[in-house]
Amino acid sequence: MAHPTQLGFQDAASPVMEELLHFHDHALMIVLLISTLVLYIITAMVSTKLTNKYILDSQEIEIVWTILPAVILVLIALPSLRILYLMDEINDPHLTIKAMGHQWYWSYEYTDYENLGFDSYMVPTQDLAPGQFRLLETDHRMVVPMESPVRVLVSAEDVLHSWAVPSLGVKMDAVPGRLNQAAFIASRPGVFYGQCSEICGANHSFMPIVVEAVPLEHFENWSSLMLEDA
Amino acid sequence: MSLPKPAMRGLLAKRLRFHLPIAFGLSIIAAVAFKFTVTEPRKQAYADFYKHYDSMKEFSAMREAGVFESVRPTGK
Repeated sequence: MAHPTQLGFQDAASPVMEELLHFHDHALMIVLLISTLVLYIITAMVSTKLTNKYILDSQEIEIVWTILPAVILVLIALPSLRILYLMDEINDPHLTIKAMGHQWYWSYEYTDYENLGFDSYMVPTQDLAPGQFRLLETDHRMVVPMESPVRVLVSAEDVLHSWAVPSLGVKMDAVPGRLNQAAFIASRPGVFYGQCSEICGANHSFMPIVVEAVPLEHFENWSSLMLEDA
Repeated sequence: MSLPKPAMRGLLAKRLRFHLPIAFGLSIIAAVAFKFTVTEPRKQAYADFYKHYDSMKEFSAMREAGVFESVRPTGK
């Protein structure tokens, strides 16, 4: 989850998010390069006594400031396209979960083998136990097996929502009447938080997402227990 | 006694010849510094974290701390 005074991304919990982090570092490095150059040039321009206004036909600099930005854009585009295609690979998921957005909660359906479904409402602030996170905890978490490819089919029952878990590198719009597919692998066990990321009404900020990644054996025990309780 | 003729042409070119290498140099230094103080340490940190990562050991520690809702601590 995010912590106060945080500036960067949350720690990655999936291979895709790790790649996105490294790409962001690469892009930020290029931004820093350009910003330093421009800042120096601005400083040089405001501190000169030269006031020649008649500057025409400077072919050399025109060529330089056409070719150089094109090269920089290619240097950004190549790793970007690499990650794009990486994210789009056939990933043969071990599990498919449907995440349905409602006003104002998420519901999850595990229908690969049995029909398991439950709603996931935010825990109100006054009902939080000590140590729990305000506006992030839910009564039922989406449990997934760790280190396994998981497919999430995201849709909505009423208005637009968006299912997002930053540390897993997932954000997918929930559109009524449409099924969007997202995939992730939780690299390690843990609890990963997210929030609805498309404005959906009064309680848009109060329908969080909690993904719990546990070993497969415990995931199977949990799903059996949930089916018994249903 | 006559003064030497001052430079009347090429003033901008002279200024550019001085400042542009410094500008490009500084920006490349900034980029390289960022690469070796942020980018590479981050990659190394993730590599080091996962090199000897024992997911079952970490899971057990988290389970005993009561982090999970799907799995209770042993003994409960």
